[in-house]
Amino acid sequence: MLNSYLPKIAVIKNIKIQTPEVILFTLQLKNKEDQKNFKFIPGQFIEVGLPSFSEAPFAVCSNPDDSNKNFQICVRKAGQLTKKIHQLKINDQLTVRGPFGNGFPENLTGNILLIGGGLGLVPLRPLILANQNNKNFKMQIFYGACEAKDLIFKDEYKTWQKSANLALTLDKQCPNWKGNVGLITTLFDKIKVDSSATAILCGPPVMYKFVIQKLKQAGLDDANIFLSLERRMHCGIGVCQHCSIGSKYACKHGPIFSYQELKNIPGAI
Amino acid sequence: MDKKQLQKFIKWLQEKNYIVIGPIKEDGQILIKPINEPSQLDFSGQLPLYSFKKFLVPSREILFKYKKDDFKADLTAFKQALIGVSIFDLKAILLYNQVFEKDPYYQARLNNTLIIGQSQIPQFQSLSFKVWEDKYEEDILEHLQFDIFLGQAKEKKSSEFKIFTGSKKGQQILNDFTKQSGWKSDFEHIEYAGPIKEQGANPEMTKIKEKMPGSLETDIWQNLDQRCIECGKCTIVCPTCFCFSLADQPCLNKDEGMRKKCWDSCFYAEFSEITGGHKFLKNTAERIYNWYYHKFVRIPDEYNFPGCVGCGRCSMVCPAGIKIHEVLESIKNKK
Ligand SMILES: Cc1cc2nc3c(=O)[nH]c(=O)nc-3n(C[C@H](O)[C@H](O)[C@H](O)COP(=O)(O)OP(=O)(O)OC[C@H]3O[C@@H](n4cnc5c(N)ncnc54)[C@H](O)[C@@H]3O)c2cc1C
Ligand code: SF4
Ligand code: SF4
Ligand code: FES
Repeated sequence: MLNSYLPKIAVIKNIKIQTPEVILFTLQLKNKEDQKNFKFIPGQFIEVGLPSFSEAPFAVCSNPDDSNKNFQICVRKAGQLTKKIHQLKINDQLTVRGPFGNGFPENLTGNILLIGGGLGLVPLRPLILANQNNKNFKMQIFYGACEAKDLIFKDEYKTWQKSANLALTLDKQCPNWKGNVGLITTLFDKIKVDSSATAILCGPPVMYKFVIQKLKQAGLDDANIFLSLERRMHCGIGVCQHCSIGSKYACKHGPIFSYQELKNIPGAI
Repeated sequence: MDKKQLQKFIKWLQEKNYIVIGPIKEDGQILIKPINEPSQLDFSGQLPLYSFKKFLVPSREILFKYKKDDFKADLTAFKQALIGVSIFDLKAILLYNQVFEKDPYYQARLNNTLIIGQSQIPQFQSLSFKVWEDKYEEDILEHLQFDIFLGQAKEKKSSEFKIFTGSKKGQQILNDFTKQSGWKSDFEHIEYAGPIKEQGANPEMTKIKEKMPGSLETDIWQNLDQRCIECGKCTIVCPTCFCFSLADQPCLNKDEGMRKKCWDSCFYAEFSEITGGHKFLKNTAERIYNWYYHKFVRIPDEYNFPGCVGCGRCSMVCPAGIKIHEVLESIKNKK
């Protein structure tokens, strides 16, 4: 029987500072065979741990096509564990369990609108990277951050723009910023959204209510709006109850849910 | 089988290296503990304060030990015989068997555990703990998982047991005992027919389940919000509560320690708290609602049977005097 609680060891292969608070780590499972067989669906998460400092959930954010070689997580310094992770160096080790959860719907086609707020861009990145040459896919990306220094994956925007329509916004006006200023919802007033699009949202909980309003105004179907939910997690496999949402578990039935599934569950959004 | 033979059987199990665990009377309370002497066992049918929960899901268990790169899970379990498991607690084990179906630690323990149920048959003995209407029909044994069941005939009180087996393991053990002890075997095998009765889901459960969602604003929860002190006693004592957290415990030696799985309680404020301090279960009303929701909606949705076996232990220990049957009554009567 598979022991879901026993982690695998991953070695840090690369470290890339994104913002003063956020670091991108490239990891490789120590066991070569395990790495070769590692697969994930964009939107899925792994439990990353540091022995003596426990574990926490993080979205796998690299291109799924590279997952037989390595994979990436992007970690924001938030507490004890993440502070410790930020101190690690290349060749240091972490523990990994998973991937867990359902991931975004597969085989998406047509107009896809990705909406990321802050660190919410992290789980969207594998979708962007995997579909750069996808002819069935028309990608539009709305991304908002607080200030210019908070933008993550900055050096990739140019490449993304070859296949996607990327719109950025900052909450505050920053020096040398020529783009949009205002909350992410203000992008909807400037850029037309196709009513038949599939929208995928990830961001801080406060963002959802307002963005969903905009999407409804644009005529999107509840079943075509997907969002990623954050909850406290421990087991990752639908047993410990920490992440329950009504009769569902964020770790097992999510973290990606359609708005249709969630709209009648009190406290879900 | 009479009491003498049962005692012989227990001794025989102990000789076979089983740790025998069952109800014993201590300071006026019935506790569940490992026993030395078979005569210590209490077969009065009185409900023990705690259930057998901790013998299948310990309050703390080591998931693995780590030493630098070396991560080791220990899945060995000692042989134990849980004896005198009431119908309530058998139902709780039935739930656990499904919840922990893919948990190798639980399964290893279960494989090394002999479950010996006990109750008066066919009627259920302890109607004083009636929490919610759940008829204990004669066919109840078909819907429980046990190895051996000691049925106490009503009229003969506890002097004579009718023996049932519910698994190959139970049959094998009784056959072995028969061969070695000369006991005249007279046991009946009960084929497990799944957790749900032929008639389908429990109608009483369905009634409560339908009334639960969307009821957070009602007086019921606001009233409990004022009374419950979030001590978590009800969750500890409940045979079906199984929330847990994972935590690391480092050793003094560098790079050494263990990851543990520990009982948790959804009544505690930090249960749903994420970094930054946001809580998804914001206040007592939401947390106690979540507890009831888990037992009467979430578990029924997942397994089609109730997450409360009706033992009444939570009512007995609650320092605030919250009685589950009263809460359920008000949920049912809600318009
Ligand atoms: C599905 C999912 C994906 C995520 N992806 C990312 C990501 O890609 N990048 C990123 O930086 N962050 C991500 N997070 C948030 C991240 O898990 C928390 O920031 C992290 O738990 C903080 O850990 P800490 O030990 O430093 O915080 P502390 O506040 O010191 O400790 C929090 C403790 O709470 C527990 N906990 C469990 N789950 C959570 C949770 N979701 N939030 C907070 N505490 C939790 C853990 O036991 C943890 O040790 C994600 C969360 C979820 C649910
Ligand atoms: S009556 Fe109370 S203690 Fe017993 S199973 Fe139900 S909720 Fe748990
Ligand atoms: S035992 Fe009573 S007071 Fe304590 S948490 Fe349970 S309901 Fe609340
Ligand atoms: S993390 Fe344990 S149930 Fe979801």
